Amino acid sequence: MREARLSVQSWRRRWFPNGEWVLLLVLVAEIGFFSVLAPNFLTVGNFFEITRFSAELGLLAVALTPVIVAGGIDLSVGAMMGLAAVSLGAAHQTWHLPLPVAAAFALLVGVAGGSLNAWLIARLGLPALIVTLGTLSLFRGVAEGMTQAAVNYTGFPERFLFLGQGYLGRVVPAQLPIFVAIVAAYVVLLHRSVVGRALYAIGFTPEGARYAALPVARRVGLVYVLSGLMSSVAAIIYVAHLGQARSDAGTGYELDAITAVVLGGTSVFGGRGTIGGTLLGLFALAVLQTGLHLAAWPAELTGVLTGVLLLATIAADRHIRRRPPVRAFVEEELQVKNSQVAILCATIVAGSLIVAGTNVWLIRSVGAGPRASGGLQPSPTAPHRLVVAVMPKAKGDPYFVSCRAGAEEAARELDVDLVWDGPTSLDAAKQNELVENWITRKVDAIAVAVENRGGISSVLRKARDRGIRVVTWDADAESDARDFFVNQATAEGIANALTDEASRLLGGTGEFAIITGALSAANQNEWISFIRKRLADKHPGLKLATIRPSDDDRDKAFAETQTLLKVYPSVKLMMAISAPAVPGAAEAVRQAGRTDVRVIGLSLPNINKPYVHDGVVQTVVLWNTRDLGYLAVYASALVAENKLAPGARSLTAGRLGQIEVRDSQIILGAPMLFNKGNIDRFDF
Amino acid sequence: MAAFKGHAREASIAYAIAALALVLAVAAPGYFSAENLSDLFLANLPVLLVAIGMTLVVIAGEIDISVGATFAICGVVAGALAKAGAPVLLACAAACLLGAIFGALNGALVAYVGIPSIVVTLATMTALRDALRWTTEGAWVQDLPPAFQWMGLTQRQFPYVVTAVTVLLTVAAAWSLRHLAAGRAIYATGSNQLAARLAGLNTSALKCMTFSTLGALTGLAAVLNAVRFNQIPSNAGIGLEMKVIAAVVVGGASVTGGTGTLLGTVLGVVLLAAIGPALTYLSVSAYWERALQGAIILAAVAADGLSHPLFKRVAGTLQPSGGGRGRRARGAA
Repeated sequence: MREARLSVQSWRRRWFPNGEWVLLLVLVAEIGFFSVLAPNFLTVGNFFEITRFSAELGLLAVALTPVIVAGGIDLSVGAMMGLAAVSLGAAHQTWHLPLPVAAAFALLVGVAGGSLNAWLIARLGLPALIVTLGTLSLFRGVAEGMTQAAVNYTGFPERFLFLGQGYLGRVVPAQLPIFVAIVAAYVVLLHRSVVGRALYAIGFTPEGARYAALPVARRVGLVYVLSGLMSSVAAIIYVAHLGQARSDAGTGYELDAITAVVLGGTSVFGGRGTIGGTLLGLFALAVLQTGLHLAAWPAELTGVLTGVLLLATIAADRHIRRRPPVRAFVEEELQVKNSQVAILCATIVAGSLIVAGTNVWLIRSVGAGPRASGGLQPSPTAPHRLVVAVMPKAKGDPYFVSCRAGAEEAARELDVDLVWDGPTSLDAAKQNELVENWITRKVDAIAVAVENRGGISSVLRKARDRGIRVVTWDADAESDARDFFVNQATAEGIANALTDEASRLLGGTGEFAIITGALSAANQNEWISFIRKRLADKHPGLKLATIRPSDDDRDKAFAETQTLLKVYPSVKLMMAISAPAVPGAAEAVRQAGRTDVRVIGLSLPNINKPYVHDGVVQTVVLWNTRDLGYLAVYASALVAENKLAPGARSLTAGRLGQIEVRDSQIILGAPMLFNKGNIDRFDF
Repeated sequence: MAAFKGHAREASIAYAIAALALVLAVAAPGYFSAENLSDLFLANLPVLLVAIGMTLVVIAGEIDISVGATFAICGVVAGALAKAGAPVLLACAAACLLGAIFGALNGALVAYVGIPSIVVTLATMTALRDALRWTTEGAWVQDLPPAFQWMGLTQRQFPYVVTAVTVLLTVAAAWSLRHLAAGRAIYATGSNQLAARLAGLNTSALKCMTFSTLGALTGLAAVLNAVRFNQIPSNAGIGLEMKVIAAVVVGGASVTGGTGTLLGTVLGVVLLAAIGPALTYLSVSAYWERALQGAIILAAVAADGLSHPLFKRVAGTLQPSGGGRGRRARGAA
């Protein structure tokens, strides 16, 4: 009896030394929950898709585990991905090296970056947090500087893209074996080698490890070098996955990876943590995210639930952990504790089973009667309702929020189910994930505002192969990857409108400055290149003095404009080409009292009304975003019902009337100029 | 050298600032115009205020990365209240209170439930940020009453008032950290929590207090920043936590607790705030700015690291907690 109990205990201690079983339960509960609620969640295909999304983040998380176990931290992993990605792109496309050599070069860059961290942390003994904060800026900055933030390396050979997009034997994603091999290597390193033991000792007490004659600096240095190397591997897979290399690859991945690691029971104080726990944490987050997408619940819930999950899991772990050291020798107590744990587990499992069971029953009963309004699978008895899934570039952006109003209006008129979801901030990789989720969910039509042309096209083609109709809006994918493109205005049209307006206001001669969004934003960079072209062609008297980033932050645009006004007194016009940057620039001009400086830009009417009325902002260029969302849903629904076939010359879109179609592009019309006279007529 | 013994980092940051100032004085004297300095001060006021609170939290051996999200929520709530007709001072007080509540929540989870602070605040950061995104759907707070901008003062008066407030707050915080029992208790808690508790300090309550103070200061910073404009974006303060933590750790506070001074923090804020516009004045291309910023931070910190004997460096910084750092605790501003 006693032996059996002890063996159960040692078994648990051996496999789940940090209470990872809590997380395992969470994962099982999540899977149970979503397989009932989310259509097509519990399929082999979806299982492998989840592993595909998790590969890049997983590599970072696995590499971070020994770093954190050794009592350190590495915030530079995401930035290193960006640097390695552009190194790969530059080596392959600019220097024309063969791809394996270019990949080796990218790995070398990763090792070099990791070594810099290692040298500063292990040799100079600087705090890891501050060093990697510094290298985060450094790596990302070098990547931006190398490419002027604009170069987007594409055109990688098909065989390389297979690494990120292909399937082995039609089911297993090609990156999965690499991920598994690296995980296995890390398991050996951390749990089955002398080096791993040393890392635990160092994390537990570095001074003690030193007195025990462990080479502390060398061991600590090693994990940082490896973490740089793994970031590069992740970057290579990322590039193959998206088919493009840009300096913003992996932005924000460091926090996601750290979340997975600490969720997996690794102590941020060092000395405790396992690779298995990290994997559990990673998949608990990935399953949550995919499940929410498939169930068509708002993406914002991901953040809220991640936070709750993180707190609940660690708190549960703490609560359970707190007892043993005090009462370890009292056997009766242990016995009680074990049975308590067993009861707790049983209750949770039973509870989730009951919830799952009632849900199944509920859905069946609802399916037999009138259909619920949720995004559930249509039952055979009800007539098939179209499901149109629409994706903005970023959900919280006021621009897309105003598009959404139009999309919902069209969905109501047409009586279709609208799924509106997208990344919470600009993120090309998240868009791909979401399209994959929608393919799994088997929606009827997908309409995407494309963040990254090369990256999303392959997955859109896959959607079309599965019989889903694809429409792009706001920005286009490659033309064979979609049925139609709802074109609100071409990049060239926008650039010309802005440049001509600037020239008109300046009277043909003078200097102006551009406040852009993020330096690496693809849209803005395209506009800037067309603006330069227009300047050369039509307006030789105008001079572009400088370009400053605002990172889509109103306050940053404000500060940048303040500095610009002082450094370039001859600049008489600010052209802000990011929605929040226009009011920021306008406020700076107003507070400086510079009535000789004018502001124009691309933005939304509502946030600019006060400045347009004051006369600080002369003109805001934009199209009717509400109509854009309306038209996108209308077109998608028509295409899905086969009422709009290739070769059509026009379509009738509800209140918008007759709309012209030209070469599979649905034309919304020329961009509008909002000024004092007409801005009050618009509310978005 | 002995005078600098506890303040090596402060000294190296001060040298870095002096060097930067020297370069600017020669290459771009316009940088030191009163107008530019005043603009810079106002633009970095939120960072400074939050950094004061963060210094307390870091000295107590904890960290808070949820300040950016708190900053955004407090700004939006203050704006919504002002729009509903509340006087601007009441809106300001409400924002501070809300910030203090969020801080207390973080603090309670850290001190009483025993979850590491980086985990707690990572969770509250993502949860709060997405909850705000969900409720506002990205919409800005608009049509604020005219009295909201500049808090009813004029654009000319406002900088003097906030300068006075900030200087007062900074000096008061620095003085209490150095001379009040509560201030010393924060150092003691951060140096060795167990020893501090055995010595009769209520370390849990103390940690809760530091988090609340940080939250209240974040709320204040959000309002003082919001009143410079006539509308409030719902995505404010993205990346604020990183700026603040960078300033605090560059200023010499150790993330393992027990060390750090407000003087260092102020110098750290000044250095980081000065670099960005300075590079514009020196006509550095925006595309290389971030790389240079990173390099300057690393150089300033590495200079400090290189001046220590090797053994101390490795043993001192990798040490997770406890053990003999109490004597290194020093507070001055």
